[in-house]
Amino acid sequence: MIGGIKNFKGVLVFSLLTLASINLAGCSSQPSTQAKGKSISVWHWMTDRQTAFEELAKRYEAATGVKVNFELYAPSDAYSQKVRAAAQGINLPDIFGILGEKRDFSSFIKAGHILDLTSYMNENDQAWRNIFFPKALALNEFNEDNSYGINTGTYGVPIDIMTIQMLYNKDLFKQLGLDPEKPPVTFQEFIDIGKKIKETKLQGMVSGWGEVWMIDCLANNYAFNIMGKDKVLATIRGEVSYTDPDWIEVLGLFEKMRNSGVLSDGLISMVNKTAEQLFANGKAVFAFNGSWCVNVYKGMNPNLNYASMLPPKVSDKYPMAIWGGAGSSFMVNARGQNKEEAVKFLKWFSARDQQTYLSEKTNNLSANKECVGSISEVLSQFAKSMDFATHPNIWGVSEFPAVIEALDKGIQTIILGEKTPEQVAAEVQKVKVRELDKKKNK
Amino acid sequence: MNTSFYYKTKKISINVLIHAFLLAVAVTCLFPLLWMIASSFKTQETIFSDISLIPKQFHFMNYWIAIKECDFGRYFLNSIFYTVSVVCGIVIVSSLAAYAFSRFKFPGKNIFFYMFMAAMMIPIPGSFVALYILLNKLHLRNTPLGYILCMINVGLSTSIFLLKTFFDKMPKELEDAARIDGCSKLGIWWHVALPLSGPVLAVVVVFNALAVWNEYILALIIFDTKTSMPLQVALQTFQGEFVTNYPLLMAGLTIAAVPIIILYLVMQKYIIKGVTQGAVVG
Repeated sequence: MIGGIKNFKGVLVFSLLTLASINLAGCSSQPSTQAKGKSISVWHWMTDRQTAFEELAKRYEAATGVKVNFELYAPSDAYSQKVRAAAQGINLPDIFGILGEKRDFSSFIKAGHILDLTSYMNENDQAWRNIFFPKALALNEFNEDNSYGINTGTYGVPIDIMTIQMLYNKDLFKQLGLDPEKPPVTFQEFIDIGKKIKETKLQGMVSGWGEVWMIDCLANNYAFNIMGKDKVLATIRGEVSYTDPDWIEVLGLFEKMRNSGVLSDGLISMVNKTAEQLFANGKAVFAFNGSWCVNVYKGMNPNLNYASMLPPKVSDKYPMAIWGGAGSSFMVNARGQNKEEAVKFLKWFSARDQQTYLSEKTNNLSANKECVGSISEVLSQFAKSMDFATHPNIWGVSEFPAVIEALDKGIQTIILGEKTPEQVAAEVQKVKVRELDKKKNK
Repeated sequence: MNTSFYYKTKKISINVLIHAFLLAVAVTCLFPLLWMIASSFKTQETIFSDISLIPKQFHFMNYWIAIKECDFGRYFLNSIFYTVSVVCGIVIVSSLAAYAFSRFKFPGKNIFFYMFMAAMMIPIPGSFVALYILLNKLHLRNTPLGYILCMINVGLSTSIFLLKTFFDKMPKELEDAARIDGCSKLGIWWHVALPLSGPVLAVVVVFNALAVWNEYILALIIFDTKTSMPLQVALQTFQGEFVTNYPLLMAGLTIAAVPIIILYLVMQKYIIKGVTQGAVVG
């Protein structure tokens, strides 16, 4: 034992000497990542895109002589912490992305970290602005009446977009005696397929409804379809009650889906990874998922034969809506030394050729609408649905988190058969009134 | 006869129950490790379709691709360097501090000690932004020294607590004898206290080595250059926002787990002894 300790002491002394010498070397290093001269630094969290980004950086350097360093910091929560810390230390790179809600985005703008890109977007008859899906750009914009106190303008460049919609397995459609090229268009057709699924050992619709926000997403889609955007927003403002017959109809759809067998077993506690696995392995007929799933399914089962479709509509009165537009964006550091170079690079980077390459390599949906024709069929289907896309971030009003929680949990109880749509509607309205009172008293 | 049979049966039944329980705990602990190793030999496709622990086909290439794709060698050496440096730093500072808290009388001794103990309660991620700004002001951000100092700080509280508990119960006669032989205070720490605290030091070494080896969030925040990052940061490159390359990630994690398993195996005989040293010192 004592011999061991003597050895330990020796190791300790040796390590200390090594530590001192290497740390001194570490202190003398010049760690600046701020671009100097013709060099731009970009921070991002998109692991699956790093190789493609590096290839594009090489092409840009070959074309312009400007070196672009894409620095990957993953996972995304650690990246967010790094960006926040760097902002406080005024160490942000030339180009970076912000993860989180619009209020996080606005706090960076207020602190003077993000360059207003409006003038660049509007140059040459809005040439740069016009290449993007308007709904993708909308998430990077602040309108006149925004509640964050930000000057009207465009503060970010969208790189990719997402839409959340339904998918169906074509092979399982054939197995059920259905035409794989004709997905259900109406809610009744969808419910009827549920009855066929019930007769087999197949699973119905799978989704990450254990992560409740996806329930909220589908409920909102149908709310837009049944009562229209204005009435949905009026409900959020507190002008329409959740006990309104239209809302009860929305909640009733979940009861109908449960009764028909179109929903998978255990759906309400299912995480999205499990849902993706079930759909990719051909065990579920339908999935409700985001456009990122194209990449996920490709990894899990490259031979999966599937297509996307809009959630089957209930009414013809208002168009069906899907959540979409929210994707990744890049911002330019307003305090950076290479602002102009950074903007030039983003213009080049967001152009059709580069975005097509990126889409092909990463299976993500480009924010550049000119790329739609040159991407895979399923991705193209997702992109074409952008016309139906909406997102809570662009509504201008937001629902109380407690109300969203009550609605989502209420829908879960409907699916479990524990409560009726009327009961859930009454409970949600009760929470809404309580939250409105709290707000008034403040 | 009947009584003997009753007690024998009771003993066997209790043993069976205890062993079944321990076996269940062991399987629960080992399963993630076995799944990691099994998955490291599969393809991305088979991970989701073949759930068995023995793959139908072994893809040894996953290891080579993982090593090649994330520049494993450099990051591995970085991790070794950070782990050795931080553990040495913690051992020296915490043993000196614990010895002082245990044996010396100085103003504010208890307040300082309780402050260290209170630091154990602070969640580390909560202090990241503050640490970043502090290091930035000291011009230590993006330097190995900055990272090592932060990690030493993170590991001090628990280590001081463990060592102080040991030193409190160490016989004073040993120190008196050393003092008579002409040892200074530092000499007593070096020649008497440290050699006797071997098992506790083993615990301090293993716990802190594990913490440093697996740390990546602080490294990600402090370092801007890839060349200084530890191995765990490099492994994150296989984990995407929506898509994770499981075979390569699992291959990388399997290799990364080897040094820490070796360290644990080498030191395991001291660990149980060390953890219980607080109760009995002799």
